[in-house]
Amino acid sequence: MNQTEILSQITDVFREILDEDALVLEASTTAQDVEDWDSLTHIVLVVGIEERFKIKFGSKEILAWKNVGEMCASVSEKL
Amino acid sequence: MVLNSLGFVLFFGVLFALYYSPFKPKWNFQNVLLVVASYVFYALGDWRFAPLLLGSTVLYFGLGLAVQKSEGTKWAIRYTNFAVVLGIGLLIYFKYFDFFIDSFASLLRGVGLDVSWTTLNIIVPLGISYFTFKLISYVVEIHRGKLEATHDFVGFSAYVSFFPTIVSGPIDKPNGFLPQLSERRSFNYAQAVDGCRQILWGLAQKTLIADGIAGTISHVWSDVPGASGSSLVFAALLFAVQLYTDFAGYSHMAIGVGKVLGFRIASNFQYPFFATSIAEFWRKWHMSLTSWLTEYVFMPLNIKFRNLGKKGMMLAIVINLLVVGMWHGANWTFFVFGLFHGLLFIPSISKGSFFKKKKLKPNKWGLPTPKDFGKMVGVFLLIAASLILFRAPDIQTAADFVKGMFSPSLLSLPYGAMELMGALFFMAVFFAVEWKLRKKEHPFVGLQDKWNTAGRWALYLGLVVLIILYSGGEQEFIYQQF
Repeated sequence: MNQTEILSQITDVFREILDEDALVLEASTTAQDVEDWDSLTHIVLVVGIEERFKIKFGSKEILAWKNVGEMCASVSEKL
Repeated sequence: MVLNSLGFVLFFGVLFALYYSPFKPKWNFQNVLLVVASYVFYALGDWRFAPLLLGSTVLYFGLGLAVQKSEGTKWAIRYTNFAVVLGIGLLIYFKYFDFFIDSFASLLRGVGLDVSWTTLNIIVPLGISYFTFKLISYVVEIHRGKLEATHDFVGFSAYVSFFPTIVSGPIDKPNGFLPQLSERRSFNYAQAVDGCRQILWGLAQKTLIADGIAGTISHVWSDVPGASGSSLVFAALLFAVQLYTDFAGYSHMAIGVGKVLGFRIASNFQYPFFATSIAEFWRKWHMSLTSWLTEYVFMPLNIKFRNLGKKGMMLAIVINLLVVGMWHGANWTFFVFGLFHGLLFIPSISKGSFFKKKKLKPNKWGLPTPKDFGKMVGVFLLIAASLILFRAPDIQTAADFVKGMFSPSLLSLPYGAMELMGALFFMAVFFAVEWKLRKKEHPFVGLQDKWNTAGRWALYLGLVVLIILYSGGEQEFIYQQF
């Protein structure tokens, strides 16, 4: 799966969980750019992504992400 | 020295003159001035612990460099763990050690053992809860790869000891603050004016409201068994307002002083009494502490427990709120306060409404709808009730306070009600202004766009006159003790 497909699937997860159909994510998107993406919804998004790709992230990995691009890279490493 | 004293005005005047002197001092000299001023400020508060502040600054500066240098090896983890354990160890020793000895001795006595341990009467260093959190987050952020270790010791010391925030916060994270110290701060008129207005707003709420009602509240608390039910209810409701206007007032003043010196400091409050749920309240109350704990306690726990679903999140939030409670001090009252708030989150996590941020939709007159207003009142009452524990010296007194509230004297006139008419009037004006301007960082932001010069100066002078008239001697800030 290439980066564009991963980003598109992650966007689907975000749209479903945040209930925001028009949401557009880019590699450079951060939590500051998405209104309802905060520390509380973050973990629900992480679990959503883990379930979608059937993978498991490490704690340190999750805490180190700075933007959506780094999230995609973590997914890509595990596929 | 407190921010609302004449001594501080003099101290700040001298610093200001040197900091922005016509000789245009370079950024690193400005940092030297900040460090000297901060240590003078700290030593005037309690000189005995200035060496502790300096020693821990040196140590964490070294640890930051060590973590960065050894990144990718086991040593980076070891140094980071050492920094976290040492920081928590300092807090435990100075803030909680006596409490542990006392509680453990009581437990042993409770099972019939004869113990004669006495506490060590450890003195809590000024600002330890604030600067320790800054030091821990500095090393952790480097280890997480989100921050470069600084090689500028003076700048780092200025961050740790920054005098407007050293004794009561806000707790600034290093990522946002350290970069501000690496360039020269030139005098920015608009920012300085905004800072002065914010100081005035903070000082007005502290003097006219918090200090105005402090005497009545203290009087009621000094004799709980002798107070009427109505006085206890009145004091409980007033204390919620006192704590808010005292601490938010201080935070506005600290942020304002920071702005005059060219800094952006983290916000601490965002009109918390307009929250319509407990979750929303905690997003708007003491934000620099809650966001620190969210980052370093709640998030890691939540990640750890994520396979447990909602139960995992409930557990993480209860632990997080217990830490919030205990951060305030070593007393079972703070433990129960934290537990109470943690448990309040459970229904909303279970229903799923925890994640939803509801936006307030005022009616056509710009007022909250009856439903929203009812929720705001409900949240306020829950907060005021929990703050009985926060204010009480021990659990027994808190229980007596609550019992006393429901006595037949509940229908009598509360103590101090007539004398507090002035403060109650200021309170009504204060909340009306807050409501109207709740989208701004503080209500005086952008005042120049709506008020002409004469109107603005009339407002400033009017407030200054009221502050002078109502200032009944120096009142310390409540959060200084934490």
